[in-house]
Amino acid sequence: MTTASLTDVSVTFGRRVALHPTTLSLEPGIVGLLGPNGAGKTTLLRTLATTLPPTTGSIVVAGHAVTGTSAQRVEARRHIGFTPQEVVFPRGMTAFGFLDYIAVLKEWKNTQRRHEEVRRVLDLVELGERGMSRVSKLSGGQRRRLAIAQALLGAPELLILDEPTTGLDPEQRATLRNLLSRTHGTVLISTHQTEDVAALCDRVIVLHEGQVRFDGSVAALLGAAAGRVHIGPTASAGAVHTWRTGTGHIRSVGGDPAPDSVTTEPTVEDAYLLLRADDHLSSGAHA
Amino acid sequence: MTWHVTQPLWEAYSQGELNAAAQASVEAHVTQCSSCRAAAAAVVPPSPQLWEAVHRTITRPHLAPPLRLLRALGVPEADLVILGASDALALSWGVAVGGALTTVIATALAGARQEFTFLLLVPLVQVLAVMASFSATDSLRELATSTALSKLRVTLLRTAEALCITVPATAVIGVVIPHLSALAFTWVLPALGLVLAALVLHTWLPAWHAAGITALTWALVVATSQTHLTSAMAQGLAAAIALVLALVLVARTTPIRRGGLR
Repeated sequence: MTTASLTDVSVTFGRRVALHPTTLSLEPGIVGLLGPNGAGKTTLLRTLATTLPPTTGSIVVAGHAVTGTSAQRVEARRHIGFTPQEVVFPRGMTAFGFLDYIAVLKEWKNTQRRHEEVRRVLDLVELGERGMSRVSKLSGGQRRRLAIAQALLGAPELLILDEPTTGLDPEQRATLRNLLSRTHGTVLISTHQTEDVAALCDRVIVLHEGQVRFDGSVAALLGAAAGRVHIGPTASAGAVHTWRTGTGHIRSVGGDPAPDSVTTEPTVEDAYLLLRADDHLSSGAHA
Repeated sequence: MTWHVTQPLWEAYSQGELNAAAQASVEAHVTQCSSCRAAAAAVVPPSPQLWEAVHRTITRPHLAPPLRLLRALGVPEADLVILGASDALALSWGVAVGGALTTVIATALAGARQEFTFLLLVPLVQVLAVMASFSATDSLRELATSTALSKLRVTLLRTAEALCITVPATAVIGVVIPHLSALAFTWVLPALGLVLAALVLHTWLPAWHAAGITALTWALVVATSQTHLTSAMAQGLAAAIALVLALVLVARTTPIRRGGLR
């Protein structure tokens, strides 16, 4: 069952192409979006969240055309929860008041049911006891969780989170992973934390310069890096990245392995770095 | 005290087995007897439902006095949340009242340039008050865009909330200050156009940027053509511009645009 689909969607700002024509289909599950800064991740998420109109192409969310009539776009918005990369909270608001306001914007008119929903999402992000605290009194991690909580209002079919784990400590990240892993709809997460992708995602999409460079399972991404990561006393010749590990050995990603090194299991980060390196090589070959 | 609530009586009370008279008697006694009050907590432990109700009461947001007034006037609770998000109306109403007082003082001190000062400031008070009502939640614009509630409804609510204070306040100024009776209501149509212009700009720009651009533009217009602003032609032009801007605002705040426009 497809939750959202993008067909030949592109976004340009003047002459700069932020997102080349892209076709994607999103089904229930957690999808990780990886890519360097400027790769087009936020543009893709904002377009899907209906806050940035595409230059070309069509988007359908929960069966409603975002790029269609006004009624269809509004209907699509009823199925979307979105957390932007940065949420600047209005001064003076309490955590409860903030969520109450967003809930009204999400058309929760009945006060009692709206308040119950606000309490539900506060509890989900473990802020149930901080509801009456002013947002300015919350820690950075708590504010980030509050920003995520507003996206959870109404349990939307499509949850779009732009770098949700930024600013969270390991325990809070684990809590968020637990929360997202219990979500039944489709979750699209943009992140720089490759370990989040490894821990959470059923599928990973890698963007590079506004184009989808990889779209497949985490296992497939790891498979592409199998046999290309080595560890030993000396670095591999021509390695993309090397670093000395805690054991004193050198971990080499890519390159020709030294004779005294052994092949080791790649991580998602290794696979991502190799993919990026391959992109640079192909860019150089085309130049 | 001649009697105290016994254990069997407590149990009967907590299980709802007492008749109305006996129940009322126990309750009346407990309010007067500290030892029975102390015993009550041990005999009748608070239920989870009771704590839940207490928690709900404590965590229910309290409306600021102006919002309670609006609720009493029949404004729906959800609309009050939208209005309350903008500093519980404090900033926009503060700007409205402060702007009206500033206009009175500046106009009184302007001497020969009284009419110029009046025509310059009165429409700007409306613009600043309206934009102040949007400024508190400006940081959530992108988030708000992704939600389903009509943006036009939010815009109209906030605009009405600010204008319901500024329009009467400034209308009184025109009537009260001597020699301005001829201009008393000539600011209405230009002010309408300016507020709409600021609202249209606000669909692209932060509230205070929109207010600044509008204010500068109006200052230039008044400086170059103040003697003509009171003419029927100028008033008609202001009405026509306001109508066009109203249509643009509706187009900008309802998602009828096709992709590609931004």
